Amino acid sequence: MTFPYKGYAGHYLDVDLTKGKIHKREMEKEWARLYLGGAGVAAKILWDSTGPDTEPLSPDNVVVVGTGPLTGSMFSPSGRMMFAAKGPLTGVWAESHVGGFFGPEMKYAGFDFVVIHGRSPKPVYLFLRDGHAELLDASDLWGRETDVTTQMIREEHKDPAVETAVIGTAGENLVSYASVIVDVYRAAGRCGIGAVLGSKNVKGIACRGSLGLEVHDMDKYLEANAEEMAKLSDPLWTASLASLRKYGTTDLIAIINEIGRLPTKNHWTGFYEQADDIGPEIIAEKYRTTQEACHGCAIGCKYIYKVKEGTFAGGPAGGPEYETLMAFGSNCLNNDVESIFHMGTRCDLIGMDTISCGKTIGFAMELWEKGILTEKDTDGLDLSWGNVDSMVKLVEMIGKREGIGDMLSKGVRKAAEIIGGDAWKYAVHVKGLEASGQDPRAHQSIGLTYATNVRGADHLRSISCIEELGYPEIASARFGAEKADEVLDIMSPKHKGEIIKDMEDLYALVDSAVICKYSTMWPPIYYYDTFVNVISPLTGMTEWSDMKYVKQAAERISHLRRAYNHRLGITRKQENLPQRLLKEPMPTGPAKGGLPDLDEMLDEYYDFRGCDRETGFPKREKLQELGLDYVADDLAKRKMLARGK
Amino acid sequence: MKKALVINNNLCTGCRNCELACSIRHTNTFNPARARIQILKDDFRATVIPMVCLQCDSPLCADACPTGAISENSVGVLTVNHDLCIGCSNCVTACIYGGISIDPILRKAIKCDLCGGEPACIEACTYQAISLQSTDSQGLRGRSDSVRVLRTAYGLSEVDV
Repeated sequence: MTFPYKGYAGHYLDVDLTKGKIHKREMEKEWARLYLGGAGVAAKILWDSTGPDTEPLSPDNVVVVGTGPLTGSMFSPSGRMMFAAKGPLTGVWAESHVGGFFGPEMKYAGFDFVVIHGRSPKPVYLFLRDGHAELLDASDLWGRETDVTTQMIREEHKDPAVETAVIGTAGENLVSYASVIVDVYRAAGRCGIGAVLGSKNVKGIACRGSLGLEVHDMDKYLEANAEEMAKLSDPLWTASLASLRKYGTTDLIAIINEIGRLPTKNHWTGFYEQADDIGPEIIAEKYRTTQEACHGCAIGCKYIYKVKEGTFAGGPAGGPEYETLMAFGSNCLNNDVESIFHMGTRCDLIGMDTISCGKTIGFAMELWEKGILTEKDTDGLDLSWGNVDSMVKLVEMIGKREGIGDMLSKGVRKAAEIIGGDAWKYAVHVKGLEASGQDPRAHQSIGLTYATNVRGADHLRSISCIEELGYPEIASARFGAEKADEVLDIMSPKHKGEIIKDMEDLYALVDSAVICKYSTMWPPIYYYDTFVNVISPLTGMTEWSDMKYVKQAAERISHLRRAYNHRLGITRKQENLPQRLLKEPMPTGPAKGGLPDLDEMLDEYYDFRGCDRETGFPKREKLQELGLDYVADDLAKRKMLARGK
Repeated sequence: MKKALVINNNLCTGCRNCELACSIRHTNTFNPARARIQILKDDFRATVIPMVCLQCDSPLCADACPTGAISENSVGVLTVNHDLCIGCSNCVTACIYGGISIDPILRKAIKCDLCGGEPACIEACTYQAISLQSTDSQGLRGRSDSVRVLRTAYGLSEVDV
């Protein structure tokens, strides 16, 4: 039977690198119907093909390159795609998303997914064009940075519009947090997917397509699309969207510092006195040259910077986002914004996650301050806070895994194990993933988000900005007027379990559709009804026009990803926070004294999720209700189901 | 009065929504490769280059066409007659503005037909970068101004915008 749904390209590629064979296969109907696409389908593929015995950097690991039905389908903001694998940094579920133009182009070239197995005997890259795919020699590309790699691939195909997703030297060198770079300055940064590709001798993927996408009911889809787009024009969101267009995510430096949640000095505090130096105004005035947007996006948050002169003269290139400004800025007490532009761009060229890299450098700086690391450990580098020269050198050393860079390339958890003693106290991570730019001591529910996020300490699987920025109408509409006051109290743990469960499910759809978090996460415009509205006319999957079905699909994806981690040994014990964020009250700033009530929130979260409070394991009837019987059977064999009813 | 699309490079973000809108209008699919407006990105100069037919007074494409398939219609829009077009690409080679291309499915020349007066791309552009302008001296000046940033990016002019 042929794949019946529209909005998808309709095929995926199964690549066996070890044998050098590529199989083009028709999309599985059930993948679309039950898991939608993107993260959902990736979870199904990785559940079936990897597990506790899979070494992340061995040929056994599998990389899923995915898009969703909304990718390239004119829905704003939908120019996204995702990568998933078992993660080399964390050893658990790894997922990383990126914007730009690659995702849509891959679909126009005829493929919704690429599933990569094995290890190639020599460096290769995958080229897709109009339903055909081939593995091409990448010997000349090996050892090149991402911009040169992209340029060489485009020259080889004599086509400047070939889209690329490539790794840099950090991926080749198996840096645990190596990224995949799309379109020169967009990164699937987190979790080290670049290292997994590097371990497989895959330099990247390139594609170009003219097959296009058909729509089930174009008139109805465009109408639904216009209804959703009209929501963006509501005066309530004008200021937020205008800010995204003018400042991009850099505006968050100012907004977040104001509530005392800006990670500063390796997460010691949440308030940075010199935040203005790395903040939105100076960047907009002095360095920002132009605005850009991903494919088909009406928001357009990307900006281009140029530093005209001085040590760090550079650009035009994609400007650092909030997280990069935080990681190399406030987190390291570095207020030299030009140096942050430089390090951000170097990370893009080397192919390395700016968050994990900056956070690992901040960790090393704190160990230096405490005397745990000294000159003999650091190859003579002075790691005092804000020492820009040393930071710039460390970025290069980490990328090459030279000297102390080798240890730091493994991330803070491994580095702390290697150093021993008290070093672990300063390693701010969950499940091995360095914390992103939030702090639960100033925003309770972030604690729960960090603890339960399947990929580790990161906001993008369930952050709630409803209480962060205060949207009373949204709080009432989603959770009931009677709960609204407590929902909106950023330092109250009340109802946060319910909210985070709800956000996690919503984002499961976002990550499977595949669309951007902007306009779902913040501003909180799109909700479940958006998916009910657009998926069915686009694809022809009539069940997706039913709210109950859509919410169940969302829960199914959330549970499957969680179950993937349970099988790797994750329980409530690992759904925890690092000591600093759990036990050390916020020392300074507007959120002074704050601490998260994690246990209370976790109990509520597990209740709403249908899991056991003690272990975090799911209940059999919950999994059965979601059609995940095969997961229940597998977990039962491993004694990983909730006991009792 | 003849009209043509003018794309303001200072407003264009390179999102390519115009291509999608154009492909829906003309093919009822999402397929930028079949769009009659093309946004080329130059990642290395961090710039975008919009390309669309300028509805030239002395069209190089029409001159190059061996079958006389390209001509002005009653409202001054250069149009390709697909009954005559043999898909030889001479027009694509001749046009120095990238304003005409070969449809990958039909294998015939395609170009902007201004959607009969209400271009889909204008409506789809959320950045208001595209407008329909008369090809009189004022309109042409507007078009020239709107691409000045490209002349600087490619070193053809030293004036910083």
